[in-house]
Amino acid sequence: MNLVATEAARERAASANKRYLDVAAVTKRFGTATVLQDLNISVARSEFISLLGPSGCGKTTLLRLIAGLMKPDGGRIAINGSDLTQVPAHKRNIGVVFQNYALFPHLTVEQNVAFGLEAQRTPKAEIGARVQNALALVRMQAFAERRISALSGGQQQRVAVARALVVKPSLLLLDEPFSALDRKLRETMQIELRHLLRDLEITSIFVTHDQDEALVMSDRIAVMNEGRIEQLGTPDEVYSAPASLHVLEFVGQSTRIGGTADASALNGTASVETPLGKILAPLHDGSGVSGKVVLGVRPECIALGERPDANFNEISAELTDIVFFGSKTALHFQPPGADDRIQVEVARVPSGIAQGVALKLYWPISETMVYPAP
Amino acid sequence: MIPRLSFALCWVMLSLALLFLFTPIVIVVAVSFTESAVFSFPPQGFSLKWYYSIRNADGLLASAWLSAQVAFISTLISLVLGTLCAIAVVRRMVPGGDVIATFMASPLMIPGLVLGIAFLQAARLVGLNDAYTTLLVAHVVLTMPFIMRTVLASLSMFDFSMVDAARMLGCSYPRALWRVLVPNILPGVMSGALFAFIASFDNYPISIFLVDVHTKTLPIQLLNQLEMSPDPTVAATSALLILATVLALIVCDRLVGLKRMTTI
Ligand SMILES: Nc1ncnc2c1ncn2[C@@H]1O[C@H](COP(=O)(O)OP(=O)(O)OP(=O)(O)O)[C@@H](O)[C@H]1O
Ligand SMILES: [Mg+2]
Repeated sequence: MNLVATEAARERAASANKRYLDVAAVTKRFGTATVLQDLNISVARSEFISLLGPSGCGKTTLLRLIAGLMKPDGGRIAINGSDLTQVPAHKRNIGVVFQNYALFPHLTVEQNVAFGLEAQRTPKAEIGARVQNALALVRMQAFAERRISALSGGQQQRVAVARALVVKPSLLLLDEPFSALDRKLRETMQIELRHLLRDLEITSIFVTHDQDEALVMSDRIAVMNEGRIEQLGTPDEVYSAPASLHVLEFVGQSTRIGGTADASALNGTASVETPLGKILAPLHDGSGVSGKVVLGVRPECIALGERPDANFNEISAELTDIVFFGSKTALHFQPPGADDRIQVEVARVPSGIAQGVALKLYWPISETMVYPAP
Repeated sequence: MIPRLSFALCWVMLSLALLFLFTPIVIVVAVSFTESAVFSFPPQGFSLKWYYSIRNADGLLASAWLSAQVAFISTLISLVLGTLCAIAVVRRMVPGGDVIATFMASPLMIPGLVLGIAFLQAARLVGLNDAYTTLLVAHVVLTMPFIMRTVLASLSMFDFSMVDAARMLGCSYPRALWRVLVPNILPGVMSGALFAFIASFDNYPISIFLVDVHTKTLPIQLLNQLEMSPDPTVAATSALLILATVLALIVCDRLVGLKRMTTI
């Protein structure tokens, strides 16, 4: 009896933990335009979630609503069970790293980091040590006395992170913090920040429109489109089982082929008539499709040659381009009657292949995705 | 050839500009130390008697005090109102903000005489008979463009996400403005305030319509003085004003840096 009770308590704690940040049915309108519509998202404690989506889909708006810099027109935002909707921004104890860092140019690095502690009336004796600590976390101790204008982009970024973390926020929000950095530095900073936040066990929401960044850094990715979350899942789930055509198009490379699905789906497999011939696709969780559909395939699933057996789809298309990327080579095919070209990735270009020849391509039926046409 | 020519031209222009700017100043200062009772250059002898005579000259000190008061109070009012107004315009808190901003800056483009007559008639219309109050109101309008222009320029370069950052770090909105916005726009605002103060202090065309016998600003009193008893007292007063301006510039330089003030 007792055992069952503790079990239940533990389960309740675990589920509360899963809903550390809870955004429920949040709506935001600007004038007549609805930017967010009944949006829900729950973030677990210590989780790192990316908001990924095209420009203008409402990522920054969602972040500002959570931060309290804007008021929602409906819905509820809670952290750790306590409702924040009526709490003003400066009392929420949420850290924010802004896209352009928003460092204070009239203060030194040290003073920037100390700003939050002073605003929260931390005892003077404590401030110095905590500032040094925060600067050490981002390896910026040597720059403590510098003016902000005398720092590089990457260094400014680090100071912005230190300034947000020093107050021990209950949640960290990052709005495209790497968008001003060059690619090389960006990749280093991504890994560095991910390690830092993991070590500190800070719950973080990270906005980006760079899918690679989201895939590399996140525990889970929320793919947004037009003010809604289309899919919330691990990077693997989002990449290999996109919940919608938009997610498929937005995350990773893919080939799309339009066609008409047969009304009768045979034992969980849809048969789609396309300009390239008949293509089979598995249907998940008993859903059926009929009428106009779009098929999707990832480039790394497609191989050159004849299909070994009936578990594969096979088409034939003309090779139009060979694009060399170093570690891989992309082959572009233009199938007859289709407007989307087909991308295939190979490690090495097989001998005897040249532009203009028609080749056979195949991929597993299980790797074919099917969506209703928009 | 061309570069050398333009280089030479540059120097010629600079020398001429300096000559035109400094000659009157040098002459006025020199004349203020003369012993002779007439306005003559070069000055004869050396004395400070015209400086002493400022005290005895009819109403000169009183009008200087009045001008300083009007300039200071009107600049202060413009500073507070103008800064708040500029924030509202830049943050698009009011519809048609750009129109408002242009309107607030427009007195700079209207001839002073027109404004002066307009103020006189407006004051009559609303039954405002007190010269001091009328002067103050007119000078708020007069100083506003200087404040608006410099504050708007400073604000347009100010990144408001800094205010958001300060709020997220625990400052309420007003406190965030005070701790982050004010220090960052201060150099621009100070230069605007300095220009506004000077513009008010030496305004003639508007004030001439609004003064009365007991309430005369310094420029008007100086001109009266020049007509009634044209002795070097006026030169001594001017020399003191020049000194005050130089001191003000030095203080501003110490406080915010002249370079930062003039770049805005
Ligand atoms: N203050 C505002 N007033 C009116 N419309 C706004 C305002 N802020 C944002 N919007 C609109 O809301 C939509 C979402 O904006 P938001 O800034 O959240 O997009 P985003 O996903 O962050 O885009 P990006 O990737 O370009 O930063 C946009 O269409 C934008 O025009
Ligand atoms: Mg954004």
